[in-house]
Amino acid sequence: MAIDSLVLGAGQQVGKSCVVVSMNGKRIMFDCGMDMAYHDHRRYPDFSRISNSGDFDSALTCIVITHFHLDHIGALPYFTEVCGYSGPIYMTYPTKALAPLMLEDYRKVMVERRGEEEQFTSEHIVECMKKVIAVDLKQTVHVDKDLWIRAYYAGHVLGAAMFYAKVGDTAMVYTGDYNMTPDRHLGAAQIDRLQLDLLISESTYATTIRDSKYGREREFLKAVHKCVAGGGKVLIPTFALGRAQELCILLEDYWERMNLKIPIYFSSGLTMQANMYYKMLISWTSQKVKETYSTHNAFDFKHVLNFDRSMIAAPGPCVLFATPGWLSGGFSLEVFKHWAPSEMNLVTLPGYCAAGTIGHKLMSGKPTKIDLDKNTQLDVRCQIHQLSFSPHTDAKGIMDLVKFLSPKHVILVHGEKPKMATLKGRIHSELGIPCDDPANNETVSISSTHYVKARASDTFIHSSLNPNFKFSKSISEDESGSCLKDRRFMPQLQVTDERTAEGILIEEKNKKAKILHQDELLLMLGEKKHEVRFAYCCPINVSNLEETKSTSDNVLCTSDRCSWLQLLNNKLSGEISGGNIQDFGEHLQVESFDISVCLNDKCPYRIIDTQNKSEAVFFCCTWSVADEKLAWKIISIMDNFDCESH
Amino acid sequence: MPYISVSVSIFKPKLHSLSLSLLMEELVPSSSEPLSPQTLASFRSFIINPSTPQSKISSIFETLTRSLQLTPDSLVLNLLSELASRHSNLSHLVFDSVRSNALLSSESIRLAAESLDALASISNTDPTLSTAIDELDDRLFVSLCFGPSVSVRSWLLRNAERFRIGPYLLLTLFLGFTKDPYPYVRKIALDGLVGVSKSGIIEDRSMINGCYCRAIELLGDMEDQVRSAAIRTVSAWGLILVASNLETKLYWSDDLFVKLCSMGRDMSMVVRVEAFDALGKINLVSEDILLQTLSKRVLAITKEKRSLGQCPAEQFEILASNVAGVLVHGLEDEFYEVRKSACHSLRTLTIISAEFAGEALNLLMDVLNDDSMFVRLEALETMLHMATCGHLKVQGTHMHMFLGTLLDSNTLIRSATRKILKLVKLPNIELFRLSFDSLIENLEKHPQDEADIFSVLFHTGCNHGKFVVSTINEASEEIDQASEGKLGFDSARVAALLVLAISAPLSHGEHVCSIPPRIFSYAVTLLGRISRALTDIMDQNALLAYLSQCSISTTFSATELNIRRGEPCLPVANIEIPNDTSNEIDGSTRTSSQQEKDGASKLQSWTMREPLELAAPLGEFQVEVRDEVMKPINLILAKVKDIWPSIHSGFTNEVLRTLRNFKEELATFTSDSLGTIGAVAFTLQYLQVIKQLAKVWEHFLPAKKLCSSGLGELDLILGKLDMRLRELRSRFTGLSMEQELQILELVLLTCTLRLCKVEICCHFATLKKLSTTVSRVESILKSANIEPTIFISEVGKLLCLNEMSSSEASCNPFMFKELLKHFSLSQFVLCGRLNQIKAELTIPDNDSENPLPFVSRLPVGIPCDITLHNTSNENKLWLRMSMDDESTQFVFLDLNLFGSSDEVRKFTYVAPFYKTPNAISFTLRVCMGMECLFEDVLSVKKYGGPERELTYLCQEREVHLSMISEH
Repeated sequence: MAIDSLVLGAGQQVGKSCVVVSMNGKRIMFDCGMDMAYHDHRRYPDFSRISNSGDFDSALTCIVITHFHLDHIGALPYFTEVCGYSGPIYMTYPTKALAPLMLEDYRKVMVERRGEEEQFTSEHIVECMKKVIAVDLKQTVHVDKDLWIRAYYAGHVLGAAMFYAKVGDTAMVYTGDYNMTPDRHLGAAQIDRLQLDLLISESTYATTIRDSKYGREREFLKAVHKCVAGGGKVLIPTFALGRAQELCILLEDYWERMNLKIPIYFSSGLTMQANMYYKMLISWTSQKVKETYSTHNAFDFKHVLNFDRSMIAAPGPCVLFATPGWLSGGFSLEVFKHWAPSEMNLVTLPGYCAAGTIGHKLMSGKPTKIDLDKNTQLDVRCQIHQLSFSPHTDAKGIMDLVKFLSPKHVILVHGEKPKMATLKGRIHSELGIPCDDPANNETVSISSTHYVKARASDTFIHSSLNPNFKFSKSISEDESGSCLKDRRFMPQLQVTDERTAEGILIEEKNKKAKILHQDELLLMLGEKKHEVRFAYCCPINVSNLEETKSTSDNVLCTSDRCSWLQLLNNKLSGEISGGNIQDFGEHLQVESFDISVCLNDKCPYRIIDTQNKSEAVFFCCTWSVADEKLAWKIISIMDNFDCESH
Repeated sequence: MPYISVSVSIFKPKLHSLSLSLLMEELVPSSSEPLSPQTLASFRSFIINPSTPQSKISSIFETLTRSLQLTPDSLVLNLLSELASRHSNLSHLVFDSVRSNALLSSESIRLAAESLDALASISNTDPTLSTAIDELDDRLFVSLCFGPSVSVRSWLLRNAERFRIGPYLLLTLFLGFTKDPYPYVRKIALDGLVGVSKSGIIEDRSMINGCYCRAIELLGDMEDQVRSAAIRTVSAWGLILVASNLETKLYWSDDLFVKLCSMGRDMSMVVRVEAFDALGKINLVSEDILLQTLSKRVLAITKEKRSLGQCPAEQFEILASNVAGVLVHGLEDEFYEVRKSACHSLRTLTIISAEFAGEALNLLMDVLNDDSMFVRLEALETMLHMATCGHLKVQGTHMHMFLGTLLDSNTLIRSATRKILKLVKLPNIELFRLSFDSLIENLEKHPQDEADIFSVLFHTGCNHGKFVVSTINEASEEIDQASEGKLGFDSARVAALLVLAISAPLSHGEHVCSIPPRIFSYAVTLLGRISRALTDIMDQNALLAYLSQCSISTTFSATELNIRRGEPCLPVANIEIPNDTSNEIDGSTRTSSQQEKDGASKLQSWTMREPLELAAPLGEFQVEVRDEVMKPINLILAKVKDIWPSIHSGFTNEVLRTLRNFKEELATFTSDSLGTIGAVAFTLQYLQVIKQLAKVWEHFLPAKKLCSSGLGELDLILGKLDMRLRELRSRFTGLSMEQELQILELVLLTCTLRLCKVEICCHFATLKKLSTTVSRVESILKSANIEPTIFISEVGKLLCLNEMSSSEASCNPFMFKELLKHFSLSQFVLCGRLNQIKAELTIPDNDSENPLPFVSRLPVGIPCDITLHNTSNENKLWLRMSMDDESTQFVFLDLNLFGSSDEVRKFTYVAPFYKTPNAISFTLRVCMGMECLFEDVLSVKKYGGPERELTYLCQEREVHLSMISEH
């Protein structure tokens, strides 16, 4: 069995996410994103690779969408309404609620502003969303008889989820975008320890390691506080969802503690509608927000007021959140024009601004003059503060997740090629997990676990019920792999429970596999037990043998034999302390070591062809491997044994 | 189930009418069959009914035993163990019967386990059976553990301690069961291992190592619960391993640290909390590892040295990534529990390395911006710990965040920050000014913090004399302006400047010259406000003396004044920030007590003397009666004087017997009501004092070595003696000066006795007490013109000597021992009328059957009927209310509100109790106490409690409360 992962997008790039995974006969498409950088067919994944005939319904079992960002969902209406996929689509409730807004917004921008040809219409979006089945966190959904999926919290944005998919014995996780550290409004990604064959992880920051968010928050608060304390105005350009809420919670909390009375405004673009979604979707937010919402909903901003265009010129300090985020136009730019010339004011910019926007220009160096368009030039004297908050996990977070899940195989997507290569190396060398970073339209095949169903015999079941642990001392390798290894120190005590080790798996032709208890094996096979034994015929010198030999053909009579053994017995019991020597008359036994007098002159175990055999009595010794040490000890005693016959 | 209901209804009337014999007759023939549930139920009611005759109980026991023999059953077992617990005379028989019939013969594992349980609980109730449970075979226990039933196995493992299994066997069992396929069993086994580790019996290194390594393997378990139990186990055994060998100490400590760090990024919150808790227990780690925990990137120095612990190179990367940034992650965790735990762990870790402490401080300062109050508070407390360990090095970059917390709306946060400020050493004057300005801002925004802020200013002033001088010199104009005209100093800033200024002479340098003397005289106008803030350093009189001295002359030595500097120091020991917000409730009581303080400072010179009330209004006859009582009392007191030599020579037992006789004699006088009650009570109290004194003296006899003279015992008796003397001094009004002098002499003696014993601590407090008592004695001597006894004058001399010389000599116990020779008991003569201050406190209509209703977490009013005898409005009375868990709340009784200052006043007062627990019912112990105004050693009871020691005026009462039911 194998898992085939066909990467249709976000292979060695940050862009349209789309991976089609086939396992055990099921085919799941994870995410269906678009690439905003292109305006031709390259913006969509190459769907023809899924099915040449265009019959996507039979080619795909389902589609799973992780979150509402366009690079994860942008191509969905096109795929369903234009390409004709009509199978099930799964996403979380918040994603289902927010995705149409994002899609509609995008469609408008494309059609109305750029005058592009419409790829899909508003009706398409509505129709597409009708096919969506919403899921909740940790809810196991049976897509069909064999395929289960389950969503786990991923942080990143409201409603983002990692998806676990399981077909038969094969299991995998597709992370989508996630964040391993919490922020003020969303929690950190959270997943169970699962047994996975494959983990497909994003790797946006494959080499970055971020410092504590506390420092960034402190700098931000300090800058804002300083500005308003000096009577200045703070402009925070953001997009409607996510950052605005995070920063607002941060400020709100600070305002509360410091008992500040300076107003915080939301521009009308950042309507309370967005906040309303957050208020309703409390269960998807961070622990703190969840814990306190019964007394105070963190998104009920106490200090926040609605901003009115007329207030731009009003005197006095204030803080204003305005859309859009990169000062690319709209209201935030309008306010910026008014406030930028004063040194008292402050503009905070997000960590990333698209090229060509005013935000981008502000970030590159500290310009004093900015050309708004051909005719207007703006004096920028205000302070500029850069925020580097990111909702993606950093390299350490990816490593932590991979280490926690310990899958059999990792595939990295959604990252830049050289950085992914570095991370791939680390995963392989540090965690010992094979890792791939396929390019777009490549397929990675990995083998998957194969389980055999077997019946168990009653004896085995019975023995499994009872604990049966053993202790042993060994200098074994530390299995946890993280031990400081030093052999100066003592050997370790090992505990093993032998219950399962006692079982034997039997696979017969045309029969179902069966597990037996080891004791039952011989019975089942109808065979006898074979045992490997060592044998050695050991001579013992007897000085006056001749005299004691009875007349009849140099053959020792039974009583003689017994007396020899008796002598030996006495000797051994003197030498071996604590050894349990049993006398059976004809032979002696110590554990599995067996001694009897050998009368066969051509005994095959006789190694020394003694010339003066007349002076030796031969004892045939046999023993099993387990008692090898004991055997050699006894033999050495016998070698040195000089027998005085009576 | 119609059948059962029918049979019950038939049975019930039967039960009442049946005699035992009938019942037994009915049962015996059918005893071959299992007992029916109805029969068992009736047995149970017989067993628990205390009036069931013994014969009946025995026959029930026999029936049950027989039933157990035939068909072992868990219900029967239960009944038997109940029977044993209620009828201890049968417990041996029950024990044997259960052991032979159920435990040993049973084939069911569950039943065997249940009988083990029964045996253990029987032996619990009957201590004579404790050896019997020891004799039970361990093998039986083990074989039960190895049975197939998982629930029995986990039950047995959890209860293993009850069966007194040998520690080595137990260890083996637990260790083995960490391999169990059931996660629940694994968890219990791990918890059991932790338990065994605590016993400290296991000393075998390889065993310890085995446990440690096995637990480490389970750190990777699939189940959260097992992982968190594994962390506890790793920590417990790891610490033993670390301690077991000096040579390998660092190696194992590093190893343990790294292992625990690897769990800091677990997905489960519970596991992470456990990991950080465990990290906080480690007190030895290599510095490079420690530093790595604060950086998510693998540090260059770690890379170069490659010495993370002493690990081989191939594992280095993994190790480094395990450790990297763990504490950073912990401090920015989503769950406040984890953040708090991470903050807490820094307390021990910052002690290890100063460099680490510096780095950690950078992070901690950022934590002050956390959204959870608990975490912020924890961070501040951690800083406080660092400050006390001298690892707190503040820098300019920290100041914005740190001083910002002074403006926090939460009182606890502000006060925690100020506590740190008191201790912090600021590197330059800019930071000093910054802190000063922030404190002013704090004062302006939260004027209720004034006392504390002044105290901080004074302490920081003492620590930074140079900065103070330059600050004051710049601001002196401002102060002068404020003082012109009205001398108001209303401005908080000016007041703060004054406080800062007057601290300068106490700093180590000679900066006093540079502070203009007039500033000190300005400060005098704020005497009340300042002295309230500086209660931990000096009282108002000392402050006044200090200020006036400074305003006149610039050369003086602080030791001349009664100022508590150089004492082990600053209120570090008292710093305790309660974690729960419930303390905020106390804020209201606190402000009222602050107002009280004003009154208290006026009362500092308040004396115990009351105008001697003679028996003028009494008629002739009454006087005679009085005399009839007074005479024998004085006779007794004279005899007490006579037994002093016996005390002195150590005939303690005889003395105690005599004193007992005196007491009995006194008891005959109590019926009288003619003003002699006070005298009798006083004499009784006096006898108590002498009794304790006799007991104490036993410890100071040179010849006789007491075999069991544990230090604790002496301390205890001295404590009692102190308490008795306190009562003697404070609870009686109408003592003459001479009488007071005699009591004070006894106080001096007690102090001297304390100072003789080197072992007894709190030398300083005792010395302090000695000196204040001496000054009191001297003032009495002066005003009453009495010759001091030899002992008093000797004590005075020694004290003078002490003050002149360095502080070391003051601790010389031999000099105090010399003093004892001069003491002899003088006769106490009672003449005038003595009144005893006492109180009666009752809670009407309240007992365990009629509890008061309350709602959990809401305050509840306790109606108290209070009768006070001989109290005046100056007395400061407190109601002490304590719960079983020793949490105590004090309520101040403002006597001005309750009628005039009569001999007897009666009133009902509804005392509020705030911290009602989350319980269905609870009991409160209420008692009334009075502050001893002469006690100037303040017991620092925070949050609204009394400032001085209390003497209790009545018996403790129990109040029963129960929650109001929901409907």
